[in-house]
Amino acid sequence: MTHPATLSVVPATGRRSYPPRISAFTQPFWDGLRSGHWQTTCCQECSRQTFPPKPVCPHCWSTRVTWSDLSARGTLYSWTRIHAAPTAFASEAPYAVGIVDLDSGIRLACRLHEGDPVAWRPGMTVEMTVLQFEDGPLFAARPLNPTP
Amino acid sequence: MTRRVAIIGTSAIPIGRHQTSDDAQLQTLEHEIMTRLVVEAVRDAGVEKNDIQSLIFTLPRPYTRQKYFHTFLMGQLRLSCRGSVMEVMGNGMTAALAFDQACNEILLGRAEVALALGINMESAVSAAEHAMSSMRTTGDVDFHTSAGFTPISWYAMDATRYMHEYGATREQLGAVAVKNRHHASLNPLAQYRKPITLEEVVGQRPIVEPLGLYDVPPRGDGAACLVLASEEVARSLGRPYAVVRGRGFFHDGSHQINDVPNNMIAFEAARQAAATAYQQAGIAAADIDLAELYAPCTIVEVLVSEAIGLCPQGQGARAAFDGETRLGGRIPISTSGGLTSRGHPAYVTSLYNYVELAEQLRGRAGERQVKDARLGLATGELGNYNAALIHVLEAMA
Repeated sequence: MTHPATLSVVPATGRRSYPPRISAFTQPFWDGLRSGHWQTTCCQECSRQTFPPKPVCPHCWSTRVTWSDLSARGTLYSWTRIHAAPTAFASEAPYAVGIVDLDSGIRLACRLHEGDPVAWRPGMTVEMTVLQFEDGPLFAARPLNPTP
Repeated sequence: MTRRVAIIGTSAIPIGRHQTSDDAQLQTLEHEIMTRLVVEAVRDAGVEKNDIQSLIFTLPRPYTRQKYFHTFLMGQLRLSCRGSVMEVMGNGMTAALAFDQACNEILLGRAEVALALGINMESAVSAAEHAMSSMRTTGDVDFHTSAGFTPISWYAMDATRYMHEYGATREQLGAVAVKNRHHASLNPLAQYRKPITLEEVVGQRPIVEPLGLYDVPPRGDGAACLVLASEEVARSLGRPYAVVRGRGFFHDGSHQINDVPNNMIAFEAARQAAATAYQQAGIAAADIDLAELYAPCTIVEVLVSEAIGLCPQGQGARAAFDGETRLGGRIPISTSGGLTSRGHPAYVTSLYNYVELAEQLRGRAGERQVKDARLGLATGELGNYNAALIHVLEAMA
């Protein structure tokens, strides 16, 4: 793969506002993410990846799925900045979120990480990154070459 | 000839802030509103209590203290019946499903007269607190909600993408809000009726960029009741009614986002559901005289108007800006004032859309009457229009 599936890990302050639940099945994803391992499930019957990881392949319904690397780079499909936030996220508002098409063909939605405000625009190249909170990781996207 | 269903009576309270806070000395009670509305709608229809054999309710919000509201109301009204009595739920599609199920009761022969009804009370709960629940409805609660997505943030991303692809402007989207407010100014059931200007719309504080306060739905409470009947019964009453000519549903097999990249703003489910409904009705999109769309944000009205063929792809915002979707225009959309101004008590929103179609198709819409309105269309949806339920209604004098 052109781009390594190991993501840079960015320290984040405090705890996650609304932490994801972890199951025995998704534990490898969240444990891996903690150290920058960026992966999802891939079907051994039809060879298609899906995201988020799932125990049943949504395409062919096979239960023979295995973990495989995701691309670390992608293209921003769309984005918004949320000003009216739920109570749990109020202290973070406004914050940006977006939809990313990974180079390897998966579309996902995630937080957009910005130190200083970024002029996000559809079509821009982004890279995935890990936001390392005190209680665990979240995945996010940021500009590929952030301006210093 | 196959059996057909007609809307023969309606009632609704003006959408607004009706819910009382827990510490208010005098409380607004949902069942008191609902029983009055049932009586009003049944009187409008001209049928008798004993004619009603099925009641399909929309699920109340969790803030409604009275549980099992549907069967509680049967007791309040001493209604006995042999069809079905149930509450249905499907997020934004809830009220469209209630209407659809009530139609089914008649089509299956379980009832000659059925009610589709419900109440949605939520405005005493703050927007930020309500969002703690609504944020869990759109997307994956572990993989998306953890990033802070809210229901309208997905529509905002539709807007960003639409502007990117077609060069549409904030002003063109804002024109939808101005137009809907004008329509609402003519509708006594509307929540916000004071006309607004385009400058005011684009000058509002951002809620989910690029959408501002007037591009997104207000919070509000509402309740409505529809009386449906077999066409045979409708005809026997000797009054105008609206008959269901076509019905289409499509779920695109994704929830909020498709992990296989697609054209997110094409609203494929709406396109397919409309095609089915048009085919069943034996009509084309161009035959529609007015449309009441489930469109929580300005951008959604634009995208649905394109998906169901009322405007060419990429032209919906321009059409709104040019006045094509205004009363008196080529194809009036949201003559009720739409979700942005008529109001959006989500679980009963589509009931209000059918109320508007019934008023228009029975020639009772007063100042906002669409001239010679014969065919009307309503939509309901799930997610980011990942599913759509569409009905085509026809005026019968």
